[in-house]
Amino acid sequence: MTAVPPLELTHFQAFLLFAVVISVAFGFLGRRRPPDRVKYILWSLFLFLLVGIGIGWAMFPFSR
Amino acid sequence: MEDQSQNTAPGGTQSAQLRNVDHSPRESRALAVGVAGWLLPGLGHALQFMWGRAAVVFLSVGLLVGAGASMKGNVFTRQGNDAFDTLGYIADLGTGSFYLFARAIETSGADVSHADGDYGTRLLATAGVLNLLAALHAYEAARGHKA
Repeated sequence: MTAVPPLELTHFQAFLLFAVVISVAFGFLGRRRPPDRVKYILWSLFLFLLVGIGIGWAMFPFSR
Repeated sequence: MEDQSQNTAPGGTQSAQLRNVDHSPRESRALAVGVAGWLLPGLGHALQFMWGRAAVVFLSVGLLVGAGASMKGNVFTRQGNDAFDTLGYIADLGTGSFYLFARAIETSGADVSHADGDYGTRLLATAGVLNLLAALHAYEAARGHKA
């Protein structure tokens, strides 16, 4: 098989990819009705971003 | 001494045994659905005509594996050096047949000296654990539990 060109993402892009994919999967697996799924996906995505960025900022003073 | 049969519902023991017998084929089918869902992400749900969930699981696991391998993440093998490698191997195996796909597209090997490779390793492990969760979900749904 031909080698796939390497994918280069920034920290934030990789984090966003992870958060979006997992939120959508959790929404579909965890909820049955479409409106509930949308709410769950948005809420889960918001919490992923909040916690991820929060931890990033919390670690900032120790990064140098 | 009080008769034990008075404490059970009429025919309670018999009906429990019958229930077990009745559920046996269902259990076997549920197990087959779970294994199918592990081998090919989304197949467990597709066999139960849950098309939306099947598509989302297939695409999510496929996207994570594709991205993880393209980012030169570490696809663990049996020959691990420590417990973390073994855990990584188990997580990667969770993707079922997509593990072979990851091995096939990552022909030039892993490169975890950069952040991309490290993220790739995490995405691959996440794909495996997500697929195991989805397979368990399909198994529970096949058993008739609320899903």
